Amino acid sequence: MPNKTVKNKNPIFNLLGNPKYQFISIPIFAVIISLILSAIIIFLLGQNPILALKGLMQGAGALPKDNYAAYQGQVTDFMETLDIMTPMLFAALAVSIAMKGGLFNIGVSGQMLISGFVATITIGYAKELNPFISKTLVVIIGIILGSLVGALIGFLKVKFNISEVVSSIMLNYIFQYVISFFIITQYVDPVTRQSRVIGENARLTLMNVEIGPYKMRIPIFFVIAILVAIFMHFYMNRTDQGFEISAIGLNQNAALYAGIKVNHRIIMIMAISGALAGLAGVTFYLGYRASIFPNQLSSIGFDSIAVSLLGNNNPIGIIFSSLLITIIDRGGTYMRSVSGVEQEIAAVISGIILLFSAMSSYMKEVFGARYRKGGK
Amino acid sequence: MYKTIIIDGLAFALPLLIIAIGGIYSERSGVTNLALEGLLGFGAFSGALFIVFLGGHFSQNSNIPIYLSIIMAALGGALYATLFALLCIKFKSNQVIAGVVINILSQAITTFLTRQINQNFFEQPSDKFQIGVFPRISIPVLKDIPIIGAVFDNFYTFNIIIIALLAVTWYLLYKSAFGMHLRACGDNPQAVDAAGIDVEKVRFKAVVLSGALSGVGGICFAYSISANFSPAIYMGYGYLAIAALIFGNWKIMPTFVACLIFGFARSGGNELAKFLQLSSSYLDLTMTLPYILTLLLLIFFSKRNRAPRALGEIYDKGKR
Amino acid sequence: MAKDYDYIIEFRHLTKRFPGVIANDSINLQIKAGETFALLGENGAGKSTLMSMLFGMYEPDEGEIYLRGKKTKIKSPRHATELSIGMVHQHFKLVENFTITENIVLGIEPKKSMIGIPMVDIKGTDIKISDLSREYGLDVNPTDVIEDVNVSTRQRVEILKMLYREAEILIFDEPTAMLTPQEIEFLLEIIRNLKEAGKTIILISHKLDEIKQVADRCAILRNGKLIDVLDVKETSTQTMANLMVGKDVSLDVAKEDSVKGEVILDVKNLFLKNMFDVKIVKDVSFQVHAGEIFSLSGVSGNGQMEIADAIAGLLPIDSGEIFLKNRKINELSIRERTEQGISYIPEDRQVYGLVLEFSLANNLVLKSYYHEPYSNRHILNDEAIFNHADKLIDNFDIRAGKGKDTIVRSMSGGNQQKAIIAREIDLDSDLLIFVQPTRGLDIGAIQAVHQKIIAERDRGKAILLISLELDEIIALSDRIGVIYNGEIQRIADAKDISREEIGEAMMGVAKNA
Repeated sequence: MPNKTVKNKNPIFNLLGNPKYQFISIPIFAVIISLILSAIIIFLLGQNPILALKGLMQGAGALPKDNYAAYQGQVTDFMETLDIMTPMLFAALAVSIAMKGGLFNIGVSGQMLISGFVATITIGYAKELNPFISKTLVVIIGIILGSLVGALIGFLKVKFNISEVVSSIMLNYIFQYVISFFIITQYVDPVTRQSRVIGENARLTLMNVEIGPYKMRIPIFFVIAILVAIFMHFYMNRTDQGFEISAIGLNQNAALYAGIKVNHRIIMIMAISGALAGLAGVTFYLGYRASIFPNQLSSIGFDSIAVSLLGNNNPIGIIFSSLLITIIDRGGTYMRSVSGVEQEIAAVISGIILLFSAMSSYMKEVFGARYRKGGK
Repeated sequence: MYKTIIIDGLAFALPLLIIAIGGIYSERSGVTNLALEGLLGFGAFSGALFIVFLGGHFSQNSNIPIYLSIIMAALGGALYATLFALLCIKFKSNQVIAGVVINILSQAITTFLTRQINQNFFEQPSDKFQIGVFPRISIPVLKDIPIIGAVFDNFYTFNIIIIALLAVTWYLLYKSAFGMHLRACGDNPQAVDAAGIDVEKVRFKAVVLSGALSGVGGICFAYSISANFSPAIYMGYGYLAIAALIFGNWKIMPTFVACLIFGFARSGGNELAKFLQLSSSYLDLTMTLPYILTLLLLIFFSKRNRAPRALGEIYDKGKR
Repeated sequence: MAKDYDYIIEFRHLTKRFPGVIANDSINLQIKAGETFALLGENGAGKSTLMSMLFGMYEPDEGEIYLRGKKTKIKSPRHATELSIGMVHQHFKLVENFTITENIVLGIEPKKSMIGIPMVDIKGTDIKISDLSREYGLDVNPTDVIEDVNVSTRQRVEILKMLYREAEILIFDEPTAMLTPQEIEFLLEIIRNLKEAGKTIILISHKLDEIKQVADRCAILRNGKLIDVLDVKETSTQTMANLMVGKDVSLDVAKEDSVKGEVILDVKNLFLKNMFDVKIVKDVSFQVHAGEIFSLSGVSGNGQMEIADAIAGLLPIDSGEIFLKNRKINELSIRERTEQGISYIPEDRQVYGLVLEFSLANNLVLKSYYHEPYSNRHILNDEAIFNHADKLIDNFDIRAGKGKDTIVRSMSGGNQQKAIIAREIDLDSDLLIFVQPTRGLDIGAIQAVHQKIIAERDRGKAILLISLELDEIIALSDRIGVIYNGEIQRIADAKDISREEIGEAMMGVAKNA
């Protein structure tokens, strides 16, 4: 093949065009372009983009701040980042498996909310339970609730031909309002206007653990999330069910012809996706946080789409992309205090990353064509 | 009570309709449009931006800036839809993903800009733009007709604008050459190409129009629901509009009926809650009515209805 | 009108190359105004490519086209239309939910004004179309919606589209492939009318009898080269056939008499409905024995493809019974039927037969990935999958750039088909269903496929062959069933039925009880 004789003058185009590296080079390119664009926006608003981006990193514990309060340090910030990354990773895995099967689970937020809510009112308020048992029950409830909702969406698609996108959005709003109603009428804390805080026994994050000079949170489920990601990688690429999911995602007719029970599998894919979303829900509402805001869906459910796209829908890629997006999300507050840029810029930056990720197949094609041309 | 149901119902149904028509334009041309939510939000933001910056230059009680804001919303929606059209048509992204991306980005940008502009120009930490109250009028005589007289009583004047737009968009889609090309693109783009018409151009125009119409719907919602622009505009009405157009089988008049059903379900639910003297927290429950209704309607109609044949297909000229 | 040119169309040294093939090799050809000119050749001989250049879809790599005596560069189909060239493609380009008139005027809509507002004038045009249709004997109703009309009518709409645009040169690409015999007659009559009206007609075909009926002259293409240009009246079909296929290539396949074994497939009183609840297969019964090739012959759209889908489990059965080795399989799932011993080479290899984005290795285990040795306790065994792929690539001579890792989309149609056939034969099923196994393949590939089918028969497999190509049916079959309008017209031993008799049965006449 002519690939070996390529002598492209521009090594960057070489990296972007070579199909061997594109799985990593294109997402990185998308992120860099997005950060540059965001910097330009910040600059146009009259603020210092370097300061702002640095603030983002500092706020998330990826860079040291100038000074810290007592018991605080970069490591405590970073632990908090890992704590919020945990539900993000689960949520993005939920999006990615659905995507692999040609389905779009945009209902992750709703699945998170219902899982978190049910776990909160059943186990979260049962403060006399043994911590190990209550944590286990929280996780089980999250998985069950999430997978039930996912399966329902899959069922509606298979049985009634309702697009999973529309049905999951409708369910998102129904959950949002109904749960808000119950929180406000039954479980509200009159001071915070949120649901009452759950017991420490049920919480999936260990709080205020003293290690050395620091008091920090220990997100025990972070490790589990990483293990789940590795398992999902194995599941999607090395098992017969993963083979079937890919076949369905790429060509449903051929999958049917090959004897795969496509309808069953679609429900199963959505159930797995929902279960992962459920895990995201409990690690968010009973881990990172300990209460639920009424009338609000977590933005994680939507950001996870960006994370999944950016990670090529590959579970290992998603570990890195979720870290990146989490840092951007997390650092907003601190960035505002040091740079004066409103913290909502964080959402804009992830939005722009999402935008360029959506163009990645086009970029692959364009750079690939240039690369092949250069090779001739 | 029925009066309020009709008045509020129409005030909800008509903006929803114009957004749904926007969706019909895009989808009948073959571009799946999940971006309506983002388009309506961006349109509303553009209209509101006009009011907060230039509204003060008009005399105190003038309604002119309010009407101009509708035009600005249409322009803003159209501009933002250009980005969506680029993604779907030029960059050949998956249209479902592109739509969701556009929504997320719209919410992020408008929320951020609203805060930043309030901070920079008005020095107040707020995520809202006050845009004022839309004029309401009643038509004498007609309004006194029993029951249906409510249609002519104390209604927002944007209802008239939307009805006029309904007529124009209906004509354009079904009676003009452009509309014919547009509908043909959603059925068999190869046939359109063979007839010497540029498929991508037609689709581009359809998507941009879709943005303009959604923008109008968005600013009307902003006026009727809260008299301000805030991120609360992203309440899923864009998705509701999609449900309405699916239920309306991608045709304008049946979609109109669907929107009326949604509007009256919503206002009826609210009135019911009031009638039963339930506390305001029950509003959360009645708010779910349109969504639950949507799901139920889709269960009955999704299978029977036929989406445009080429919906979601990326048209590649090279493929014969 | 005095013509200042001898030929309306002239190709000079026209050459078109695609990666790996020369589709047209320096073609020199002249066509006179007002004649009906046929392009004759096997699949892949280069007929369609040549016409695609005339219609502006491809740009020639070398050579020139002279139109009405002037050197012309035809840039696009639109440009071709402006030059009064029209083409009826094999795949019609019609908007399904538009009326016939709307389809015809698309792109050049007539306008009218109502209270000052411009509108597309459909009603007024209906009359014009009606007249035009009558003038050429086309017999269409302008207000009918395309999705409600049959293939033959759609084709006539395509003809009207050309006439409405005042085309002088009309190209027909394999116009009879999808038609019933009566419809073919009707079309040939229309072509004669068009010629009488002074149109120049170019007919792409490989059906000799049709060419004999309507064409004045014919050019024969083989492997991209122009072999000869003949006067049709003075040439026998035999000569044309010899020239078309070439002396070195023979379509006949050497085969022994079949050794008929037990009944493998037994279809009893099968009824099938399509999605619109219309009966498309009516009371069909037949048997296929081990060691024989049983074929279903018929014009496209007479229910034969649905029978194959129903046997494989892709289409639900309305009533009737299907037995495989004496076991009723009506209620079995697709996979269970595969496991019971059915292999199925579907008509549309890209939509059903393959996952185009998968590697060749994965496609070769598409029906067996879930059991040993390819998968142990749900975990895929790459080594087994790769070995299997290498074995089949070798045995079936599948050519693919990167071997087993090749993404199937990048492979040629012939090699894609070989991959499907390799996979299905490797299942070692007792029954193999081949539907249109050689569609779109070149002659070399066709021969290879035919030899494989015969080899499987000789191994004692039962073969059900469904094909639209009569030649293929006659070359391969041991027994032939002819289907028309969803009903079996006749079943006979291949040696007891002549080509003419099959043709008659395909038209639904001469039902032999």
